[in-house]
Amino acid sequence: MNVLEVEGLHTYYGKSHILHGVSLVVPEGKIVALLGRNGAGKSTTLRSIIGLTPPREGAIRVFGHATTHWAPDQIAGLGLGYVPEGRRIFPNLTVEENLLVPMARPGPWTVRRVFESFPRLAERKSNKGSQLSGGEQEMLAIARTLMLNPKILALDEPSQGLAPLIVREVFNIVTEARKEGVSVLLVEQNVRATVAIADHAYVLDNGSIVYSGPAAEFAKDEQRVRALAGASAEKWEMED
Amino acid sequence: MSQLILFNLFNGLIVGAFYALMALGLSLILNLSGVINFAHGGFLALGAYIAYTLMPYVGFWGALLIAPFLTAFLGIIIERLLIRRLYGRDPLYSLLLTFGLAYIFEDVSRYIWGAQSVPFIVPGFLTKPLSNSLFFLTGYRVFMVVLVAIAVAALFYILNRTRLGMRIRAGTMDLETVSTLGVNVRVLRNLNFGLGIFLAGLAGVLAAGLLGLQPTIGTSLIMPSFVAIIVGGLGSLPGTLLGGLLIGVASGLTTVFFPSATEAVMYVMMGLVLLLRPRGLLGEEGRL
Repeated sequence: MNVLEVEGLHTYYGKSHILHGVSLVVPEGKIVALLGRNGAGKSTTLRSIIGLTPPREGAIRVFGHATTHWAPDQIAGLGLGYVPEGRRIFPNLTVEENLLVPMARPGPWTVRRVFESFPRLAERKSNKGSQLSGGEQEMLAIARTLMLNPKILALDEPSQGLAPLIVREVFNIVTEARKEGVSVLLVEQNVRATVAIADHAYVLDNGSIVYSGPAAEFAKDEQRVRALAGASAEKWEMED
Repeated sequence: MSQLILFNLFNGLIVGAFYALMALGLSLILNLSGVINFAHGGFLALGAYIAYTLMPYVGFWGALLIAPFLTAFLGIIIERLLIRRLYGRDPLYSLLLTFGLAYIFEDVSRYIWGAQSVPFIVPGFLTKPLSNSLFFLTGYRVFMVVLVAIAVAALFYILNRTRLGMRIRAGTMDLETVSTLGVNVRVLRNLNFGLGIFLAGLAGVLAAGLLGLQPTIGTSLIMPSFVAIIVGGLGSLPGTLLGGLLIGVASGLTTVFFPSATEAVMYVMMGLVLLLRPRGLLGEEGRL
C-alpha cells in the first residue's frame, strides 16, 4: 500500500514553472529518497505535498485522501510530518516550548520521550532556539515534527551544513523512525549517505523525474552516483 | 510642589497603563497577522458602551466582567467575516479596512447611545480619596492600576505558559512552519485577534469610569498606543508595555513643567528613539 501518491504535479512560483509533471509514491514503511541537484525542484515537490505551495495541476493523495488543495495544517493532521529546509526552529522559544507548538496527535512521542531519545536537547531544554548549534537545531526540528506523531516523515535536506558525525546521527533517527512503522520521504543532496539507508530512489532534474529505481541498484551505478553527487561527494570525502 | 509632581506622576502612570493595555492588543494583532488595527479605539469605545448598557442589569462588577468578553467575541466575528480576507495582501488594504471600521464603530455608537457624554457610574466606595494629603489617590485609580497589572500578568501567563501562547509567539516568527506542524493558523489568528480586542474592551470599561463615556473615547488613545509600540520596539511585548508606561509618565511629568508640551513629549520621545535606537528600547534588530 502506498501512504503517499503524487501524480503529475505542475507547480509554479509566480510565473516560473518549477515542476513539470512530477509523480512519485511512498510505500508504507519504506524510506524513499528524492535526489537531485540544487534547484532541481526537490524542495518545491515537498512544499507542494505539504500544502505550502499547492500545484496548479496534478493530484496528491495522503492515505487515500485527495489533499491537493488542503491547507498545511489539515495535511499535517492526517499524520504527514514535515521537517523544513534550514530547520526553521522558532528562535524566540525555548527548546521545550518548540516541542509544545505542534498539534498533539495521539502516539508514542511525548516531551519526555524526546528528552530520553535526544539527551542533548534535554540538556538544553531551557535554551532559546537561537542559541543552538546547527546539529542541535536539526535534532530539534526532527523532534518537533515527531511530536506530531507522524505516520509519514518528509524531510528536506536534514544533512545540510552538518558535520559527518552528526549526519550519521540524523540518519540513524530516520531509520529508527522507519522501524516504528513511519514511512519516509527523504530529500537530500548527500547522495551516498542517502542511498545507503533508502529503499527506493528518485532523481529529479529540472522539475522532472529522470530516474526511479531501487536504491541499492542506484548505489551500484557509480557513474550515476558520481554525476549526481558531483561536488558534494568530493566535499564529503575531504571532511572524512 | 512635590504633591503636584506626585499627582501628575500617578496620573501619568494611569494614562500609561491605558496606553500599554491598548498597545499590547495592537501589538498582538500586528505581530501575528500583520494588521495595523486602526479600529482598536473603536473596539475600546464599544467595550465601554456594552458595559454601560449592561450595568443596569448586572451592576458595575458584572459589566466589568462581561463586557470585555462580549467585545472580544465581536472582534472574533469581525476578524472571521472581514479582516481575514485581507491576510497576505498589501498591508494597506487591512489598514484601510480597519480605518473604515473605526469610523463605522464611532457612528454606530453615536446612533445608538447619542453623541453626548453619558454618565458611567462606578461604585461609590471606589471614588473616595484614600487619604486627605494624597487627595488624587482615589480608590478607583488604584483599582485601575491593579486591574491593568493583573490583565498584563494574565496576558504574559497565557503567552509564556500555555500552548496557545507558545503557538502565537512561534507564529509571529514563522507562521508557515506553525501551520505545517498541524496547527490551524486561521483559528490561531482568530483567537489572537480576540485576545487583543479583549484588552481593548477592558481598557474601555476602565477608561469610561475615569473619563466618562462618549463615542470618541478611543480616538485619543490610539495614536499614543502606536507611539508606545514604536518606543518599546516592534515585535516585543515587554517593550510595548514599557513604552506605554514611559510615554504616559513622561507626559504626566511634562504637565508640571511645560503643560503645553504634554501631548508633544511622546512624539519627541519617539523621534529620539528612532534616531538613537531605531529598533526601539527592547526591539530586536531587523524586525518589522
